[in-house]
Amino acid sequence: MLFALDFFMRRIAQGLIIVLLVALLIFTLLRVVPGDPVRIMLGPMVSPSVAEQTAKEMGLRDPVLVQFGRYVGQIAQGDFGRSFVRSAQGASTGGTRAADTFNAANRASVIGLIATAVPYSLLLAGLAFVFALALAVPIGIYAGLRSGKWPDRFALYLSSIFVSLPNIWLALVLIFLVSAKAGWLPAIGYKGFSYAILPAIVLAVELAPVFIRSIAVSVSGNLMEAYVSVGQIRGLSRSRMIVFHVFRNSLIPLLNTLGIQAVGVLLGSLFLIEYVFNFPGVGLLMINAVFQRDFPIIQAISILACVVLVVVNILVDFAATTIDRRLQY
Amino acid sequence: MAIGTDIDPAGTAVARKRGPGTSLFAKAWRTADFKIGFAIVLGLLLLSVIGPYLLNLSPTQFNVSKKFLEPGLLDGANMPYLFGTDQLGRDLFSRSLIGLRNALFIGVVSVIGMFIVGSAIGMIAGYVGGWVGLVLMRLTDAQMSIPVVILAITILGVTRPTPLTIILVFILAGWPAYARVARSVTLSERRREYVRAAKILGASDLRILLVHIAPNILPPIAFVAVLDVAKMMIFEAALGFIGIGVQPPTPTFGTIIADGTKYLMNAWWITTVPGLLLALSLCGINFMGGALERSRNKILQGVE
Repeated sequence: MLFALDFFMRRIAQGLIIVLLVALLIFTLLRVVPGDPVRIMLGPMVSPSVAEQTAKEMGLRDPVLVQFGRYVGQIAQGDFGRSFVRSAQGASTGGTRAADTFNAANRASVIGLIATAVPYSLLLAGLAFVFALALAVPIGIYAGLRSGKWPDRFALYLSSIFVSLPNIWLALVLIFLVSAKAGWLPAIGYKGFSYAILPAIVLAVELAPVFIRSIAVSVSGNLMEAYVSVGQIRGLSRSRMIVFHVFRNSLIPLLNTLGIQAVGVLLGSLFLIEYVFNFPGVGLLMINAVFQRDFPIIQAISILACVVLVVVNILVDFAATTIDRRLQY
Repeated sequence: MAIGTDIDPAGTAVARKRGPGTSLFAKAWRTADFKIGFAIVLGLLLLSVIGPYLLNLSPTQFNVSKKFLEPGLLDGANMPYLFGTDQLGRDLFSRSLIGLRNALFIGVVSVIGMFIVGSAIGMIAGYVGGWVGLVLMRLTDAQMSIPVVILAITILGVTRPTPLTIILVFILAGWPAYARVARSVTLSERRREYVRAAKILGASDLRILLVHIAPNILPPIAFVAVLDVAKMMIFEAALGFIGIGVQPPTPTFGTIIADGTKYLMNAWWITTVPGLLLALSLCGINFMGGALERSRNKILQGVE
């Protein structure tokens, strides 16, 4: 237990620093690029003096580091601020309203916006994982057991082709063929579970090669280990060795890929694919926020994504060390 | 433009001087996958350089009377518009070729950039060691936890994207993998006799790093670099699709595909056919990368 405590303390401390640095990076970046957030909040029609006054009231004219300090203080209290452009009713005002005062209370809270979007993204990500594993586990294991033979080559070429399909193009081709032409599945927006299937397939095609490769390499590598023949000499059948020992040992690298690589791939592609399918998840929220320069949303989602990556990294490393104690942190 | 040819011959040039590199590229070259991939990439590259001149069609010239023509490959009446025309009557074939050229250029240059930045950081971390190495490697680990796509979207979304900023963002996203390999290679090579001999003979640290250690970094990471070129090309297309890639009127796959989505039902070829060309070129690159990877694994395992 002492090991686990020490491990988590160290890694969480490191993770906090990373998240803080990323937050600072995004925060500074958003404030040094041209474009005044007050203009975005109040629209183009507002007089300069009002804009200036609002900016002062909101503290937007303070040095970046002061603003950042205040922002971190708010986050520590669980307050991620309010959207610049989205009203509390859900519609985006887009900064075109001719309102002459900015009333933060009628803007949607960032936490609320993200909380509505996260379940959609989780559904999509989960479904993509299920599809990818359903495809990759049988192919990967078969390829690993028959290393060098045709299943191995088949897995290889399939992976190469999957990796070569540009995700946005595949998404549009599927929308065109499956949704528009054949009418089998709906594609744009979200009105029910079936809307998540097509985007999940696109993500699964992107994830599957990563899984296939790591499963195949891991299984074939374990088969060559001495313990397999030792087990057979001791009277265990080959299939028993494979099912109970080889697969178990092959899990470690899979956990690793599942964790770091897959979540990394997913965090990137999920955003793009949600945008293509107009799927109301965190990615769509984020990309729209970038276009609308809705700083509080961009900051909060970047921090959230960074926290997810850090946590996944920590958990994967912890799981790996618990399964195989030879791996120290 | 000799961009795509950089992928391999640059490697072979280094390889000729050194043992491990020579056998790696020679072994990869002997596989059919590598040759097929190389042929595809080389063919498309030549096509993208001379193709637009052969057909004498402009990629950016509007011709409204010729808009929404189906691909000439399907309907002979629409020649010479091999891939058809888009909503403004621009030839999709020459647009795709220019897009391919830009994508390859951005992909290759950004991977070379990642390689240089990553190798430099990794070599310094491995060679100097101590707290400098510790800080650099912690930085590398930290970068792995940064949601790069989010960073890229933010940077390019709030600034005006140019090819240069796109390449810089890609370099920012991709260097850590190279830094890790460079560090481990440097750590193992540093203790070798030939490095000590060079040092005794009076070679400076910089010379040891650049002349003796640097060439060893390429073989273990060459395949990652080749695969990364394909990844960056996909990423470039995705950014273009969102509208934060290379800006119009320069044709890129992303903008062509995005334009076509509005006309997907009546003019399906605008989105699908250029994407097919992109997928084909990525296939070629990935075949080469895959062949390199397997050759490296064979050398590592000591097979053959």
